[in-house]
Amino acid sequence: MKKLSRPQKFLLFLIAALILFVLTMMISIWFGAVKIRPDWIGAILANKTLGRLLGRELFTPEWQENIASIVWDIRLPRVIESFMIGSGLALAGLGMQALTKNSLADPYVLGISSGASAGAVFVIMTGALAFLPGYRVMLGGFVGAVIAIILAVRCATIRKRMTAVQLVLAGVAVSSLFSAVVNVLIYTSSESSKQKTAMFWMIGSLAGSNWTDVKILAIVFIPCLVIFFLIRKSLDVLLLGDDAAKTLGVNIGVLKLLIIVGSTLLAGSIVSMSGVIGFVGLVIPHLTRMFVGSTHKYTIPGVVLVGGIFMLWCDLISRIIAAPQEIPIGVVTACIGAPFFLFMLRRGGKIGG
Amino acid sequence: MSELRVSGLDYSISGKKILDQILVDVQDGDFVGLIGPNGCGKSTLLKNIYKVYKPDCGEIRLGDLDALRVSNTALARQLAVMVQENSVEFDMPVIEMVMLGRYVHRKHFQDTSKEDLAIARRYLAEVGLPDFEERSFRSLSGGEKQRVLVARALAQDTKFIILDEPTNHLDIGYQYLIMSILKRQKVTIFAAMHDLNIAAYYCDKVVMMEKGHIVATGTPEEAFTEERIQALFHINTHITRNERTGRLHISYEPDGSAMAF
Repeated sequence: MKKLSRPQKFLLFLIAALILFVLTMMISIWFGAVKIRPDWIGAILANKTLGRLLGRELFTPEWQENIASIVWDIRLPRVIESFMIGSGLALAGLGMQALTKNSLADPYVLGISSGASAGAVFVIMTGALAFLPGYRVMLGGFVGAVIAIILAVRCATIRKRMTAVQLVLAGVAVSSLFSAVVNVLIYTSSESSKQKTAMFWMIGSLAGSNWTDVKILAIVFIPCLVIFFLIRKSLDVLLLGDDAAKTLGVNIGVLKLLIIVGSTLLAGSIVSMSGVIGFVGLVIPHLTRMFVGSTHKYTIPGVVLVGGIFMLWCDLISRIIAAPQEIPIGVVTACIGAPFFLFMLRRGGKIGG
Repeated sequence: MSELRVSGLDYSISGKKILDQILVDVQDGDFVGLIGPNGCGKSTLLKNIYKVYKPDCGEIRLGDLDALRVSNTALARQLAVMVQENSVEFDMPVIEMVMLGRYVHRKHFQDTSKEDLAIARRYLAEVGLPDFEERSFRSLSGGEKQRVLVARALAQDTKFIILDEPTNHLDIGYQYLIMSILKRQKVTIFAAMHDLNIAAYYCDKVVMMEKGHIVATGTPEEAFTEERIQALFHINTHITRNERTGRLHISYEPDGSAMAF
């Protein structure tokens, strides 16, 4: 194994991850209240995709129409949405870690999560944006996230310079501020049903995924992924610190703006859709670096796969553990992520490795 | 043509003047040392030149380039900088670290080319670390890190190199080795340094600073006098010429005289 070059190791990692991804996806679709024969899943998916393209059914359906509907309209969108949420949070985390040169940064470091929570809880409690029934919480969350990040970046910019430390500290302050807003909103409300909705939203949930959500998320996720991949080399240089990156020829201002905008769009849209899902954006970049190193050429595709697969398993666990009840996904990611993070920490300074 | 020229440069932090009317002229191909006591503004001056700080007024030219007007990218094609980087949070293999010096020369959105790899390998060998390609940067000793950073600066392939105490962590052998490597490059070098004997040995010219002012400029023979060194560093010296090297040799005599006790 020692003799493998880095590109070869990465290729090996990629193949393993892709196999794991397909397996995980199949298991995710297979598992649920309605049991579906595993061989039907592939056939249904083939009919719905390739079959639709060719204009005929590739496999003669032995299943009832509602089985196909469960696979295609309920379970598959949930799988894709989970995957993108895991990938997106991991990618945003990777970006924030490069931005702050701190391996303890996560997508929420600039106050995105509490900003989004405040926005969403505000909408839930006040019933604002009633003209957008299905998406008002989502929109409220997104607006909250954007306000939080603008506030954090503004506070962190002193004499036109924005250092990583200032950014993190400003993020902490903004986070506390918006958390206070959330607490006031919940505490002063008299309706316990709304309080419960707000609490549930804040822990994070993937229930109710559908194709429309998938499309909205994809519109944000795919361009962000492309942008991050295009600036991969600049991200490598940025890891050396702002001053070194400057002298090596990086346009720091533009690069930081791209990272902030990309990570905010990703984390903001994800949080506004599914609530605050913790630890993914922190742990996945570390886990990925353990396999492929710090070079962003490898870590970007790496975190997308690892983050996505991790989220699929967390979603599975959240559906299995108290079936037929679902436990909130944020609880699962924290229960797995936190001990794992501590384990890596205890392994002795390997973090960032 | 390709000279580094700083003129009329002032820099202050919250009203306190750190640099006052700095004038430096580094001729094409020269190796110029920047000498002065701790806190005299050496690093601050260098940071003004490589655009981490923004001067209050003054002009900085690198050849035809107006350093204060051009982008980081344009500057990085002309000027490489080597400072100590001991706080790298994320690890990477040594060869990757050296290749980051090629960043400014990459084609748009392309990763490093075979040519970049060859250049990186050449300079890694030049600093005496040919077998270190796959070692992790953070596992290196202070001195090895310094040499990797020198290799990275050379790989940047620029006309000018600025160094801020490049030999700080090195043992005596490597201090001279790194200086010899730098000296034989066809680049113009401006380096803050502490060791007066190394400066006397390698520098074509030295610039001496005290409390934000330039107090002397010239060849080591002109600038290094026992009086001036006493004034700047508060230590008595005895300056002789080393017969074998033909260079100045500065012997330090603390407590007034070598035979004080």
